[in-house]
Amino acid sequence: MTTKHGLITDSFKVVKKARRGGKREKRPSPPPPQREAETETVREKELQKLRQFDLDWRFGPCTGISRMQRWERAKLHGLNPPEEIRWLLLQTHTDSEYSLSLWSEYPL
Amino acid sequence: MFAGIRLLPVRVPSGSSLTVMFSDLSAQTEGSSLLCRPASEDQGPVFERMSLSYSLCSDQYRVGERSFSRQYAHIYAARLMQMRPLLSERAQQKWGSNVLIRKLCDLQTGEQCCIVGTLFKRMDLQPSILREISDEHNLLPQPARAKYISETDELILEDELQRIKLEGKIDRDKCVTGSVIAIYGAERNDGKFTVEDFCMADLPLQTPRPALSSDRFVLLASGLGLGSSHADSMLGLQLLIDMVTGQLGDQGEQSGAATISRVLLAGNLLSQSTQDKDAATKPKYLTKKTQAGSVEAIRLLDELLLQLVASLPVDVMPGQFDPTNYTLPQQPLHRCMFPLSSVYPTLQLSSNPYIANIDGVRFLGTSGQNVSDIQKYSSMDSHLEILEETLRLRHLAPTAPDTLGCYPFYQKDPFILEECPHVYFSGSAPTFDSKLIKGPDGQEVLLVTIPEFSSTQTACLVNLRTLECEPVSFSAFSADEDEESEMNISH
Repeated sequence: MTTKHGLITDSFKVVKKARRGGKREKRPSPPPPQREAETETVREKELQKLRQFDLDWRFGPCTGISRMQRWERAKLHGLNPPEEIRWLLLQTHTDSEYSLSLWSEYPL
Repeated sequence: MFAGIRLLPVRVPSGSSLTVMFSDLSAQTEGSSLLCRPASEDQGPVFERMSLSYSLCSDQYRVGERSFSRQYAHIYAARLMQMRPLLSERAQQKWGSNVLIRKLCDLQTGEQCCIVGTLFKRMDLQPSILREISDEHNLLPQPARAKYISETDELILEDELQRIKLEGKIDRDKCVTGSVIAIYGAERNDGKFTVEDFCMADLPLQTPRPALSSDRFVLLASGLGLGSSHADSMLGLQLLIDMVTGQLGDQGEQSGAATISRVLLAGNLLSQSTQDKDAATKPKYLTKKTQAGSVEAIRLLDELLLQLVASLPVDVMPGQFDPTNYTLPQQPLHRCMFPLSSVYPTLQLSSNPYIANIDGVRFLGTSGQNVSDIQKYSSMDSHLEILEETLRLRHLAPTAPDTLGCYPFYQKDPFILEECPHVYFSGSAPTFDSKLIKGPDGQEVLLVTIPEFSSTQTACLVNLRTLECEPVSFSAFSADEDEESEMNISH
């Protein structure tokens, strides 16, 4: 009987310890989100710059064409679009959030 | 079967610095008339046709990727981007180098300044699908009109951000939507701009024309109208082909024909009636066995082209009623439609608009859609006048994409003229007309309106050496028989 009780409490404790351990294991994970947040803010800043480029009326309408196409058109007509934008677009040409304009998700 | 006849160039007399028209060359010479006895049994003289250096430069009118997801705002933006520097320069030439060039957003009331922008004409009579839908409950059917201008039209100038209504010294009815111009004047208190003067981009620079040693001709024809229900133009058409290939007339005429070195067919080769819409509206079981009217017409065209390409190079441009895309720039007709003639390297299927250098003479032209569209939306009636106006505006088709179908370009507007042509033509005109105009920088341009062949039986010949043009008519019963340069070949 006593051995059985002991077994139960043992098992109870083990379960509790396991839970605590689980919580302790989760605690170290928050740092990566912080790093992500940092990259997130860099990304946010870059996207902000690209949105500013989209909204610059001197370079013509931005819907229906990619940001790179719009940049190249501005360059072709001698409007001096910022080199930084081109650099940003070349770095991230696979990411559609970068390559397409602000309004690309809206239907025409 | 037509390759047997070869033509030699005619030897031009030494005094040929005077104007030489085709009709002079082919005039009958003494003793060579068909009415005399054949000289001998042998073959007779061979007139060799001169081949010209030729390069097609219409690449800017070939549409590679076909994306229709874009809006037309890009064309207008690109047009203004391209034209602004040109017009600013013209404005400084015209109103002094210290003229104030403003954007509309910086405009001050009462200040004398110059503004570069795109014209927009608000027209009550312009057909609009949106208005038709909104008026559906009390619908009044609009009569078909030849012109859409009215007294209530308003002229508006737009730049990148704003627009302003125009008044004053600018001919409202003559202007068309889409032209980029520079205006000079001042804004009044009521928010309208009083125009005192305006200027257009005018002719672009021209490469000088090489001096040619002999007279060579390019034959321009348009609007063959094949496949129409009344085939009265067929005799004239066959005479035209026989004349060009040297199978008509005596030796004088044949030697004249040898100086025709190229044929340019400027659109509407097929008649409008080949585009019957019956097949689309009738039930399928009724139209199952009917063949499109254009099939027989294209077959006929192939046979006619075969006669021509066996003898000399031919450029074929598509037009409004031809089986290719509707929107400008129209892409070349497909080779597979011409199984007989497309085996010859002399058949050149080209785009509309067309640019080519023929012996150093730059040809530019369209099949006429741009001109007839401007005719509908402005007070100008003469095709020649409209042709000159578009050259002065430095834009082939200002009304595209507003009232004329056009591919949604975004990078640049290909209809802006970058180099001044020597011969500027448009097809499907009601009558033949031509004029030599001079530009501010010494440019010389021959304007030609090529008449519709099916109704006028007239083609025209351009002399590459002197840039002169004359009509060739193949109808014995044409209305204007008193025209002196006309060469009537009648039976």
